[in-house]
Amino acid sequence: MARLLGFGIVAMGASGVAGCASLIGSMAADTLTSSILNQSDPALIQDGMPAYLLLVDGFIHESPDNEDLLAAGAQIYALYGSRFSTDSDAAVRLTRKARDYGSRAICEVHDPACAWQSLAYDEFVERLAGVDTKQIEYLYAFALGWLSYLDATSEDLSAVAELPWVEAALERALVLNEAYAQGAIHTWLGIIKSLRPPALGGEPEIARAHFERSLELSGGRDLSVRVEYARRYARLMYEQELHDRLLREVLAAPAVEDGYTLFNVLAKEDAEALLASSTEYF
Amino acid sequence: MNRRYVPLCLGLMLALGAAGDVEAEELRIATLAPADSQWMREMAAGGERIRELTGGRVTLRFRAGGIAGSDEQVLRKIRISDLHGGAFTAGGLASLYPGLNTYGIPLIFESLDEVDYVRSRLDARIAAGLEQAGFVSFGFSEGGFSNLMSNVPVSHVDDLRRQKIWVPDNDPIAHQVLDALRLAPVPLELSDALLGLRRGLVDVVAASPVAALVLQWHTEVKYRTDLPLSYSMGVFAIPSDVFYGLAESDQVVVRSVLTEVMATIDSTSRDDNAEARRIMESMGIETVPVNRADVESWRRIIEEQYPELRRHRDIDVELFDAMLALLDEFRATH
Repeated sequence: MARLLGFGIVAMGASGVAGCASLIGSMAADTLTSSILNQSDPALIQDGMPAYLLLVDGFIHESPDNEDLLAAGAQIYALYGSRFSTDSDAAVRLTRKARDYGSRAICEVHDPACAWQSLAYDEFVERLAGVDTKQIEYLYAFALGWLSYLDATSEDLSAVAELPWVEAALERALVLNEAYAQGAIHTWLGIIKSLRPPALGGEPEIARAHFERSLELSGGRDLSVRVEYARRYARLMYEQELHDRLLREVLAAPAVEDGYTLFNVLAKEDAEALLASSTEYF
Repeated sequence: MNRRYVPLCLGLMLALGAAGDVEAEELRIATLAPADSQWMREMAAGGERIRELTGGRVTLRFRAGGIAGSDEQVLRKIRISDLHGGAFTAGGLASLYPGLNTYGIPLIFESLDEVDYVRSRLDARIAAGLEQAGFVSFGFSEGGFSNLMSNVPVSHVDDLRRQKIWVPDNDPIAHQVLDALRLAPVPLELSDALLGLRRGLVDVVAASPVAALVLQWHTEVKYRTDLPLSYSMGVFAIPSDVFYGLAESDQVVVRSVLTEVMATIDSTSRDDNAEARRIMESMGIETVPVNRADVESWRRIIEEQYPELRRHRDIDVELFDAMLALLDEFRATH
């Protein structure tokens, strides 16, 4: 699951904020998020984002019950821990915080979620049905924070074991609003469904349908969807033609897109590397 | 380079000088292991060392995740040279050489200590038998003991009476044993077992704890019976004509590197299964103990099948008897 979070994941909102500090915090989160997503220089993000993480921690410390700050914290820590951290230990530490913030966010808006941690799979799936559309932002942050942690610990068997729980949370989010975050839920499910090959009970055709739907919903503006489609599905199924076509499309497309620039720049870097290893892989 | 491989590589470097002008060989290898698994990481690293040490004359190219098809389909593709080898389940190659079924007979082993005792004495014979059947192998990798997993606690044979019990569709020995226990097996492909559990087609499945997590069975079962049901292992094999078609010095490299890789994989499996058992428990899957007297009664029923098993075309009688003798020897001294 290495580098799972290389695409446009961040979908932050700031609604229903009570209290001045948290209002400033949420506004700051939004502004900063926008400046991060529109940044074309990943190195600047690499160097500058730790300061932002500290800021987010500070806001959350001031307003520990603010669900919007917690959700923002989950996503931003997930992004940085997965994509920009320099070593695997740091990735584990950062994404553990992403998981923690995400759990707290959903717990703030949906009381039963405070007791989700120890549930067996069938009970968990049953309880997820209680989450409603208004809570999708927090369910998404919860799933993403957890997924980023599983990504960072993907060599542990516990990550393999916990994945179905995250998948179930994303499936619920999809039912609530499949177009949320410009189709990112579909991309996540595409990635997860590409992890297990068909011989081990995986469902690659469902993965493919998720990727295709994500492309439709994002209007193809998020180039990282194509990269993940190639890296996950096409490599899993050894479909070189599809793999190379998707990546060539990424390289030919403009990187600058409002809300996607950072991920598009990263996607182009990945596309080049994947294309370069295509012959060797296939 | 990993420190543990340095001495090996130094030795192999000496062999390189002997290599003549041999055409570059790309060996296409099929495996069930997913591309992102530890197994594949070890194998890919081994492939890279082979490429380096043979000066690029031999490269391995993997078809991971079972994408090349079942063991049977992979064998067919090997016959037409579409593939040049594969990592198989021992049972998956048993159609070529029944000796590979020897360790997998249900309830034959009581512990991993017994497995170690027998394997250290019989693995080489099994590898030699496989080579006579046309495949060069490089050691075996432990899959571990499979355990029964279910939604009702199973600690006696009688607990299985009213249950629908999954068996892999290509496992004739398991079929025969379940018949002997007068239980009703439901044959399904491995990839369909989870769906079978979800839809109620089967109630009881069996696999090693690691395999159960990878297959996501832990989302559908509540109990794991703490009984070493049957021992599984993997085999990495290349057809003899392909292997011996390589330059002699390259054969040395390929054999040494792949043997080392298989030994590494073999040694990590035990810890992984222990960890998987711990995870299953932490997720609320209850461990069901079995009464020793009950296990003995299960065993006796299977032992009554030994004459039948000895006649079975999927059993190599000499190896079967050698294993029984070794087990007697071990049990007499431990």
